[in-house]
Amino acid sequence: MRGSLPRAAVIGLTALAVFLPLGLIFYQSALNAPFFMPPRTLGSGAFEFIFADSDFWDSFKNSMIIAASMALIAVPLGGILAFLMVRTDLPGRQWIEPLLLIPVFVSPMVLAFGYVVSAGPVGFYSVWAKQLFGGVPWNVYSLTGIAIIAGLTHVPHVYLYSSSALKSLGSDVEEAARMAGSSPFQVARDVSLPMVTPSLLFSGVLVFFLGFEIFGLPLVLGDPEGHLVLATYLYKLTNKLGTPSYHLMAAVAVCIVAVTFPLVMLQRYLLKNAGKYITVKGKAGRQRPLPLGQWRWVAAALLVLWLFLTVVVPLSGIALRAFVSNWGEGVNILEVLTTEHFREVFNQPTLVRGILNTVLIGVIGGGIAVVCYTAVGLATHRKPDGWSRFVDYLVLVPRAVPGLLAGLAFLWVFLFFPPLAPLRSTIFSVWIAYTVVWLAYGMRLVSSSLLQVGPELEEAARSAGASRGRVSRDVTLPLIRYGLLASWLLVFMIFEREYSTGVYLLGPGTEVIGSLLVSLWGTGGADMVAALSLINVVLVAVGLTVALRFGVKLHD
Amino acid sequence: MKRFCTPVTCLLAALALVPALGFAQVPAGYPASYADTIAAAKKEGKVVIYSTTDTASANPLINDFKTLYPGISVEYNDMNSTEVYNRFISERAASAGSADVLWSSSMDLQIKLVNDGSAMAYASPEIPNLPAWSVWKNEAYGTTYEPIAIVYNKRLLSGDEIPQSHADLVRVFTQKADKLKGKVTTYDVEKSGVGFMLITQDSKQNPQFWDLAKALGVVGPRFQSSAGTMMERISSGENLLGFNIFYSYAALRAKKDPSIGIVLPKDYTLVMSRVMFASKTAKNPNAAKLWVDYVLSKRGQTIIANAAELGSTRSDVQGEMTVAGFQKTLGAGAKPIPVGPELLGFLDQTKRLEFIKQWQAAIKGTK
Repeated sequence: MRGSLPRAAVIGLTALAVFLPLGLIFYQSALNAPFFMPPRTLGSGAFEFIFADSDFWDSFKNSMIIAASMALIAVPLGGILAFLMVRTDLPGRQWIEPLLLIPVFVSPMVLAFGYVVSAGPVGFYSVWAKQLFGGVPWNVYSLTGIAIIAGLTHVPHVYLYSSSALKSLGSDVEEAARMAGSSPFQVARDVSLPMVTPSLLFSGVLVFFLGFEIFGLPLVLGDPEGHLVLATYLYKLTNKLGTPSYHLMAAVAVCIVAVTFPLVMLQRYLLKNAGKYITVKGKAGRQRPLPLGQWRWVAAALLVLWLFLTVVVPLSGIALRAFVSNWGEGVNILEVLTTEHFREVFNQPTLVRGILNTVLIGVIGGGIAVVCYTAVGLATHRKPDGWSRFVDYLVLVPRAVPGLLAGLAFLWVFLFFPPLAPLRSTIFSVWIAYTVVWLAYGMRLVSSSLLQVGPELEEAARSAGASRGRVSRDVTLPLIRYGLLASWLLVFMIFEREYSTGVYLLGPGTEVIGSLLVSLWGTGGADMVAALSLINVVLVAVGLTVALRFGVKLHD
Repeated sequence: MKRFCTPVTCLLAALALVPALGFAQVPAGYPASYADTIAAAKKEGKVVIYSTTDTASANPLINDFKTLYPGISVEYNDMNSTEVYNRFISERAASAGSADVLWSSSMDLQIKLVNDGSAMAYASPEIPNLPAWSVWKNEAYGTTYEPIAIVYNKRLLSGDEIPQSHADLVRVFTQKADKLKGKVTTYDVEKSGVGFMLITQDSKQNPQFWDLAKALGVVGPRFQSSAGTMMERISSGENLLGFNIFYSYAALRAKKDPSIGIVLPKDYTLVMSRVMFASKTAKNPNAAKLWVDYVLSKRGQTIIANAAELGSTRSDVQGEMTVAGFQKTLGAGAKPIPVGPELLGFLDQTKRLEFIKQWQAAIKGTK
């Protein structure tokens, strides 16, 4: 391998962290019983079973529909929002940005539960709608409902990628277009957004990925009408045969990975042209916000509508649910108010430990994760060789595996790989699982910052005699430091809301709010779910506020 | 090293332990050798439990156990029944640390583990005081007495809209089909192991079981994977009626939630029991024995009936949530699900899938 020993170590460790659990899943899918149970044999029985099951094909179709609708909804909306927030004089931009990010850091379980309470058949908003229109014009339990909610809640993912790219654009071309008579919408469509195509494409592919893995929303919203997606089908297999059918679950996971691989190829193809889009040069143009004119109110209305549907509706539902003992049609809310649920939460040591762990894994774990991602990013930065291509594929792989099963695979690794055994019942096991599961996401954050560093700056340092390490330390890293801080914030929020990966790792010492929510939801503790969800939301909101106050901004 | 004690402090510490040891006498009626078990358990110092009973309900038990046996701490982990099973089998295969005691509402999975040789053979001294159906092979013990109920929304259902028995469910589904359309809920038998177990027990007890399935199909049922979700929906009015819900859960919720109404079916009422056993590979086998005996003892069962509100199996325990207490409403209709190998039947893959298919076909009306 050309390059240094640290580079080899970083690539080697990453490969190990990705392939060990993934290998276990592939191996498991080719068996007819759990791999650790003696009577297991090799065979294709698992695949035969799921291919003969009509539920598999239904859920496959639903996953396709949901993933595609998500990309179709989230990419244009996210791009437009980013344009409005970054490039224009939209009123109230400063305080809107933290709100935009709320759906990213709220667990989909929480959002789904919120939608049930506020927009379900007898939800607060539904009851009002009934009084106004005489009927409820929407159905959050339908496949369309789930797809729209999933799409709307993933807008921030696109927003984050495209806004960080847009921030580094000079505004001269946009001004030219505006002066030549284009409306702000035309500027966005024809000038600004095409310039950040790589970010939009990445986020599109990522949203599609996320759509394939989506679990919490269809778990809660898909239950009443029986809509399955691949992840909930996988979850259902846990019990369908009475005893856990790991081989069937692994087979479904392999099918999911089989779908996402072509997408990785597509992304590679798109990446090849990334050089065209370098936007931070040694001499960057000054940025001026684009005046929207009379369009500003249309834009503001669009933004407010999206915020209302995606943030206000579910969160007001969950907040209300946390403070009432029961709810529904014909219940007077004022009579059922209570703070009992919170007292209960703080009386349970496991839940208190879960809250502390969630804070730890977000703040400290998130920081260490970003350090790891940056190390991987630098190991491949401006080194267009086979190893870099390998890492590009590598980092996308774990995200394609449903978090639920990735968590299970990590449990196996910790169980059956003796040197790691002492770490199993510590929060470290959850941290490493989170870090690997979100590798693709974190790498995109880090590498989209890296991509924007013009090669001439690094080349200049190289010509002046600096070593590769020195260039990274003194040129590249300082240039992307805001990007890294933003990544930390983002990874913090992602780790706060992650829920499925921790489910199988949940035990004494490894409690985090996300997995506790799934567990409590399963045992029927709706009161606790609501209270814990609200605590989770508040925690992150506090973290975000603190970060913003200390000057960690998502834009520089 | 700072905590290394001098002879004097050691002596003081030993003296301080004397009254504590005094509490942990051999319970009345137990063999004298039980003192050795207690001493060994103290040396182990803790017992690790995997359980489906949530910590809030189990806390009164845990605290009382600690008062009875000071010096033995309880590491209590609540999780769902699949997790209990999964964790245990994988940890056992890896010879990693696992639970000393398993306690789960998934009776069939517990029996499967016992049948596969995971349980410690241990004849509890409490056996003479327990009903015969609740003990299997001196290994597995039914610890609770939990009738399976019909739950409805009190605000929105009244009079003859409230079914009183399984037979009555068929009548209500047929007569009130319009009002109940899309508003009847029960377990999704593919997602919930407990739900599957209950419905197969129903199919054995209820001569009109398949009529019930057909009638249920007419109202377009909503299947959920947990009792909590069902009750949340029933309480809100999104659903109106649910069946095969644990009385213990429903009663707990009804206390805080005036919308929840409960019916114990008059024709027959299934009674399930959380199955407990000590692991054969327990790291703390003596502490595990102490815990099992404690939960089965009169003292433990009194707490199960009155503080944990899960229902006691013992006839000598007083309170509403006991065999005697339920006897008043259930009469001869109580049908405890026996803790034993007959639960294994439907864990057979072919048989299980066949039943699920039949159940789904009956609901779709194609059977």
